[in-house]
Amino acid sequence: MITRRTALSLLASVALPTVTYAESPFFAADVKMGNIAPLAERLPRSPRVIDLPAMGRTTGRLGGSVRMLISGQRDVRLIPIYGYSRLVGYDAGLQLVSDILESFEAVDGRVFTLHLREGHRWSDGSPFTAEDFRYCWDDMMNNADLYRGGPPVDLIANGKVVEFSVIDPVTVRYTFASPMPDFLPKLASPLPLILYVPQAYMKQFHAKYQTPEKLAELIEQNRVDDWQGLHAKMGRSIRPENPSLPTLEAWRPRTAPPAEQFVFERNAYFHRVDQTGQQLPYFDRIILDVASADIIPAKTATGESDLQAGGISFPDYTLMKQAEKQHPLKVSLWRRTQGSSVSLFPNLNCKDPVWRKLFQDVRMRRALSVAINRHELNKVNFFGLGRESADTVLPESQLYRPEYASAWAQYDPDLANALLDELGLTERGGGNIRILPDGRQAGIVVETAGESSLETDVLELIVDHMRDVGIALYIRASQRDIFRSRAMGGEVQMSVWAGLDNGVPTADMAPDQLAPTHSDQLQWPVWGSWYMSAETAGEAPDLPAALQLVSLLKQWRNTTTTVARAEIWAQMLTLWADQVFSIGTVNSAPQPIVRAARMRNVPEDALYGFTPTSFLGAYMPDTFYYARE
Amino acid sequence: MSDLPNQTTVLPAPGAPMTHYVSDAPFDPYEAENAASAQSKFAEASQLQLMWWKFRKHKVALYCGIFLILMYASIFISEFLAPYAQSARNTDFIYAPPQAIHLFHDGKFVGPFVYGRSQVLDMDTLQRIYTRDPTDVQKLRFFCEGDNYNFWGMIPGNTHLVCPAEDGQFFLLGTDRLGRDVLSRIIYGARISLTIGIFGVTMSFILGIVIGGLAGYHGGWFDAVTQRIIEVLQSIPSIPLWMALAAIIPVTWSPILVYIGITVILGLLDWTGLARGVRSKLLALREEDYVLAARLMGAGSARIIGRHMIPGFMSHLIASATLTIPGMILGETALSFLGIGLRAPISSWGILLTEARSVNIIALYPWLMFPVIPVILVILAFNFLGDGLRDAADPYK
Repeated sequence: MITRRTALSLLASVALPTVTYAESPFFAADVKMGNIAPLAERLPRSPRVIDLPAMGRTTGRLGGSVRMLISGQRDVRLIPIYGYSRLVGYDAGLQLVSDILESFEAVDGRVFTLHLREGHRWSDGSPFTAEDFRYCWDDMMNNADLYRGGPPVDLIANGKVVEFSVIDPVTVRYTFASPMPDFLPKLASPLPLILYVPQAYMKQFHAKYQTPEKLAELIEQNRVDDWQGLHAKMGRSIRPENPSLPTLEAWRPRTAPPAEQFVFERNAYFHRVDQTGQQLPYFDRIILDVASADIIPAKTATGESDLQAGGISFPDYTLMKQAEKQHPLKVSLWRRTQGSSVSLFPNLNCKDPVWRKLFQDVRMRRALSVAINRHELNKVNFFGLGRESADTVLPESQLYRPEYASAWAQYDPDLANALLDELGLTERGGGNIRILPDGRQAGIVVETAGESSLETDVLELIVDHMRDVGIALYIRASQRDIFRSRAMGGEVQMSVWAGLDNGVPTADMAPDQLAPTHSDQLQWPVWGSWYMSAETAGEAPDLPAALQLVSLLKQWRNTTTTVARAEIWAQMLTLWADQVFSIGTVNSAPQPIVRAARMRNVPEDALYGFTPTSFLGAYMPDTFYYARE
Repeated sequence: MSDLPNQTTVLPAPGAPMTHYVSDAPFDPYEAENAASAQSKFAEASQLQLMWWKFRKHKVALYCGIFLILMYASIFISEFLAPYAQSARNTDFIYAPPQAIHLFHDGKFVGPFVYGRSQVLDMDTLQRIYTRDPTDVQKLRFFCEGDNYNFWGMIPGNTHLVCPAEDGQFFLLGTDRLGRDVLSRIIYGARISLTIGIFGVTMSFILGIVIGGLAGYHGGWFDAVTQRIIEVLQSIPSIPLWMALAAIIPVTWSPILVYIGITVILGLLDWTGLARGVRSKLLALREEDYVLAARLMGAGSARIIGRHMIPGFMSHLIASATLTIPGMILGETALSFLGIGLRAPISSWGILLTEARSVNIIALYPWLMFPVIPVILVILAFNFLGDGLRDAADPYK
């Protein structure tokens, strides 16, 4: 008997004669019983074809489960980050490519037309269309109950809200009043700007589409306060805790918290196939086991994880390497993308007037920077495998220039002494420590969040380097939140954190980390909060160099071409390097990645970081597979 | 008859004259009195002396006591005893395993020395591998000049009990991830870990005696209230309570303030048992005749408690204090181990153990767990000492 479904599938196979799609054994029984449609029907009309040989990878085989360890149930959020299905995303070469989108057009850097794949479906089989975008725009972002402050700032250019229009069921358009170069990078972020939601499912939680009685019942059932809370809870896609929420990711959640183990299963409607017609991902299941953070390295070393990147760090490498002999696992070293693994941030907004004046003087920052013996830090903490560098972009970035990395990064105590003398700190007191103009000892309290022993180890070495030039450093470990609020209040003189978040930017990514834009920026939290709050909180900067960075960032936001953006990046990086707003130490720090020995397609050497590579995401874990033994 | 030896012990033959015996020892007419006074030396000995005589016989406790005295003496001269300064790093010898001391080289006696070592980086496993160079004899120096230090943070000095050879190394217990000498850190850590017990016990002692004394002597509502408070305090599991109190200590405090804070916390939670002991002893003693006598003679409560009653059970207190100190030391170790106690740069045994808890250390650098040994030894020694003191505390038994 020929059902409508098989007829359609016949049609589909006729329409696409070149590729024959191979059904996954995982769904074979379900397809046979008619529970779900055959593969050709489930895929979009034109799926995203991943040409593995062209990427230098091998064609895999379907099946298998991957076990990973997470340190808490909140870490299920790693799956959408590793899965990295985005409207547009970065590939391994950090180029923006369309992923969920079939294609996109950007005109004048302000009109973005997004073309969806025809026949694309959510993981529950419902169609993914422009209606999902419209619901998100009309019923969420422009619903005063859900978005109290109106649409998110990422959709506002120069104070004007974006104009949204549906062209046809598979085409939507976002039109900004002025150029919005940050729009596409925001969509490609590990935590993306969300423009679409599965409206067919979400409508049942929306006051506009649901009867109040039913809504009240659902609110009661899910133990939330109001329908806004219900809508947020059921629709949370960055932390996949709702197994019935449809997704476009490679794996869909099957476990609702609380649990000690979280299982994710392959999405039958996933839009990527390999060049032979096998639907990705290759792995059927991802199993996340919750283990305490201290235990993760030990468990990984005993082969209890098939793919592990989080929870292990460089000092664990030796252990993993030894474990290779006893357990079927392989460990490789990737490089972290931060601008500096450990960076010192003199607080230019600190309350103490003497120190504030000193830190705002570029000679002080340069002196502190050249007083650090980066070679020793590298040797002691990274086995000499890191790169001694200022806090700037990595050589892997197309924006890199060697002079950024070497600016004020040499070890030159004589120069440091000369600079400090020039600042008037010529007198020395007890312990050969310099005396400040007001008679105090030149002692800087450096605060750390005390989360990693790496920071404290690096600091212990730096304390000695600074003592040699007559500056006393005192280390104070506190807690992340307390530390942030103290920095904001100007009570912190100097803090320690990782350097630039994204050390491998392209010209099209916003250079906002180089200018005061956020209160998180430890060198100028008060100025950062000024711009973050749209000039309502904090204080405006008065330092010419900082103002210049702000105006360059503004210029960047108005650019329309990559060349112009690269030009502004270069200016900003030059200024940043020369001004030493963050005192970098060592970057490209190695990060061990452990995998099962028979797992294939995992790169041996790659970049590891949140932005832009989305940890493993840009390397497509959906193409990893187990080789036959 | 002649075959009988020892004639003096046998009666003479019947009819034979008795042999006459005269003792030639001088006659002491006060013998009986003297014997009594010898007895009275024992009878009149002070209680401390009696305890000491009794305690001396408990050999294990005696040796443990000596061991503890030595340990406590060491904290006065930590700087001198430690071969390296507290924060001295040797970045060329990171994670170096312990070095053995040798006496003979090539069959000849050269005195205590260590063999030099060379380091190779294994770039495959990223491990530092140390190989012994059997020709490089590095003779240890004694009473020598080494790392500079400030004795008790004040007097600068550089004399050490033992130092490595010039340009040599001497890591008896190995080094940690920054090339710091584990032995030196243990010696400096003793200063914190051992004193925290003493200070904590002093504090719990004062609280225990005052509160327990008042409750026991006066009774009444004060007794009732304190007993209920003690019951509540004792019913709370100690580690969570410590954790809660330790969490109150502001993270911005300097390490030395944190040290004092932890001492106070340990002391504040430990007085309950002692207060109970003091109270029950006092309840018994206050019914004694001599207390009644003192009261009739017009002595006030302070004098009766302080002069007549406390000496009656002081010995008991000393013994129980000795048994409390190890609990304090373990408490500090546990708190520091959990990361809520003392913080670097102060070094205590608990902190050293915290740094040694990662799986890497257990698998690859086990010598970083050496600080466990002094902890175990000191705790055991205190327990044996307390045992001996308790036996000695009641010398008339």
